[in-house]
Amino acid sequence: MPPSVPRRRSRRLVRDAGKFPHPNAPSVDQGPQSGIVTIPSKNSNDVALLRIEDLMETILDAIMEGNELFIPYRSVRSAQAEGDSQKTSFVRFPGRNIQEVKKFEALFRILELSHEALLSGNIITKRNIYYQNIELFKSQSTVDDMIDNLAFTLGVGRGDLNIAATAKGLIAGLVDLIMKGGSIIKCDHSHDGGTLLPSIDSIDKVDFRDAKWLLVIEKEATFRTLAESQYANNSKAGHGIIVTAKGFPDLATRRFLSILHSVRPTLTVFALVDFDPHGIAILRTYKTGSQRFEHEENVTVPDLKWLGIRSRDILSCGSGISSQDSQSSDFQHLGSQRSQDISSQESLTFSYDGSQEERHNKRRRVRKTRDPSETVASLTQADRKKAVSIMKEICAAEGLGGGVAAEMEQKSELQRMMMLNIKAEIQAVDNYGDITDWLNERLCNQQQWNISF
Amino acid sequence: MSKQYLTAHTVDQAHTADIFSLAPTPTVLFSASGSSSIHIHSTSDPTFPLQQTLTNAHKLGCHHVCAARGGVGDVVASVGFGGEIKVWRRHEDGKQWKLWWEITPTKSSGGDVWAVALTADEGYLACTTSDGCIHVWDLVARERITTYETGGSSGRGGGSFAMAVDISRDGKLTASGHQSGAVYVFNNDAGRLVYSLSGLSKPVRAVAFSPGGKRLAAAGNAGVIALYDMEHGEHVGNLTSPNSRPAWLTSLDWNDTGAYLLSGSLDGRVKVWDAERGICVATHSETDSAIWCVRWLPMSDRVLAPGMAKGEMFCAAGASRSISFYREATGT
Repeated sequence: MPPSVPRRRSRRLVRDAGKFPHPNAPSVDQGPQSGIVTIPSKNSNDVALLRIEDLMETILDAIMEGNELFIPYRSVRSAQAEGDSQKTSFVRFPGRNIQEVKKFEALFRILELSHEALLSGNIITKRNIYYQNIELFKSQSTVDDMIDNLAFTLGVGRGDLNIAATAKGLIAGLVDLIMKGGSIIKCDHSHDGGTLLPSIDSIDKVDFRDAKWLLVIEKEATFRTLAESQYANNSKAGHGIIVTAKGFPDLATRRFLSILHSVRPTLTVFALVDFDPHGIAILRTYKTGSQRFEHEENVTVPDLKWLGIRSRDILSCGSGISSQDSQSSDFQHLGSQRSQDISSQESLTFSYDGSQEERHNKRRRVRKTRDPSETVASLTQADRKKAVSIMKEICAAEGLGGGVAAEMEQKSELQRMMMLNIKAEIQAVDNYGDITDWLNERLCNQQQWNISF
Repeated sequence: MSKQYLTAHTVDQAHTADIFSLAPTPTVLFSASGSSSIHIHSTSDPTFPLQQTLTNAHKLGCHHVCAARGGVGDVVASVGFGGEIKVWRRHEDGKQWKLWWEITPTKSSGGDVWAVALTADEGYLACTTSDGCIHVWDLVARERITTYETGGSSGRGGGSFAMAVDISRDGKLTASGHQSGAVYVFNNDAGRLVYSLSGLSKPVRAVAFSPGGKRLAAAGNAGVIALYDMEHGEHVGNLTSPNSRPAWLTSLDWNDTGAYLLSGSLDGRVKVWDAERGICVATHSETDSAIWCVRWLPMSDRVLAPGMAKGEMFCAAGASRSISFYREATGT
């Protein structure tokens, strides 16, 4: 059965409908005291709408003229594999086989749903699209892939199609989300560990109150523990916000963070990830984006700061890579200064060590001392392969004139991971399940460092 | 009786990343780090000046570099994080070093190549892999002549990560240290395992044959140095620190007489041990950042400063990115 073609709407009509008021820049509501910031609406919806309507017109014309129908379709993966050749393939109707017919029908249905969502200003979830016609789409992942590829083909972001993933991220802290519908989501008194992150496009304003920092946590379990203990309200580093995407970040969470950071640049964003190649991949995805979603905009937080955990956090109990807190370059410098012309026999060494202990006492007192052997695991072959592939990525960026300090630090930590052949989870730095001491110390230090810099 | 060593010189910020490995020949010291180039420092000058830089030696950084202990110093091998082995050879002029041969990751097959060692005649190379194998290469014929497997009878790979390797100076024995704590010794003539040594139950990060080949030292996360007799494969003693919880040891090296053993650890300490008496005779802790590698410089007739006697020297490097050189205080 041929897909039904929606009635053609005149473009003028769409314009006049006035569904898209676009306040361009983020506007702070009266004075620096106020924490309420407006989330800018997207402009690119227009582009997406135009492109979808163009496509539909082409199809309509083809029907009128009795020609073959086709939808241009490029796969993100194959485009990357072939090294960005501009070749676009087409899904035709009637196709060469039954699969192509089904594919055409599915793609057309997605376009139609996106078109409707764009006109009404509503957001439709990927899950919802799947349930529109389970038999046609077969599986959720088919829908997900098709949506991403369609967005890629049309040259827009997935959000621009007014299609969102079902929320995966969680948020907690002294922050209110004022929705476009007028309802307010308060994230501070969420009963059991966090509020489901709504799509950023459905948020009108955000009341940051006096939040100073935002912490993205890889692990949901750590997030929940912190949310339950109201850490974001009780932190020694001041009020803050905590977020998790439950592992590898989804696009919705990344867009949420990216836009939040762009409307509120004073909010320092930190990441807390495992000390393993996967954790560093997650950190890099938040910070610089992922290959698969290179065509998406506003999905990165380039200023993201790596709170931990690093090799020195795990090995700091008397056998640190370094016990210095600040950037690696600082501790290197200190190390070399101290090594000049100081030589000691064992007897001398002890007194020297004594003074060293004193210097670090403040830090160590709050920390449970643990043998690093108890908190680390060996890297697997897959871990080591992953580490090498991330290092290759970093080196490639270096070659392109990148090579920023943050990336060099990631490379350094990956190398130490491989040298030691160890990995550790966030839990390695907690105190029998309580990570608040470590967090307080780290967040306070990091903020001081930011100010002094 | 303690010995006294003084800092002779420090090459500050020798690399822009952690220095993971050092390899001394009679005339130069190779240093390798997380950055892509390998540095060659002259050791016949008291300021240890940079003699040559091997730029872009290993794109992802270099974790191991080795020279032949007791060798003439014409060949050095290095291994990069990408899994490639490069063999460097000294040019006829005696100064310039050039790439002689590269063993790419696919050629060496199986797990990723990790540690590396050269025979004293500089004719053979042994390298370990992450799946527990030890490959031996003939450098002249450019072919792999033996593979020792440690993964049981099941065949290829499957063994515990082989983190360290050494070859005895007479070329007869090869030893490997593993993540599992196992230490294996192979007879190169017979091509088979001769000793499976117990004593350390934690990852072994360094193994070293004494110059005479009578002893093997092994150390790692256990924080102690285990000594084995190579005649019968017996565990003959441990060198231990008085610390309640000793730091992980990363590196070991015997001096040319076999009387002293040098160790480096993650807490930044460099120690000199009297192997016969089993005691630590000197400790240096100028830095609290990790030491990745310690090496004695081969004995030579070098006189490094006016009035300074000939003596043994050693060097240490790690996360501080500097290389420290130490000399024995002679008192006269």
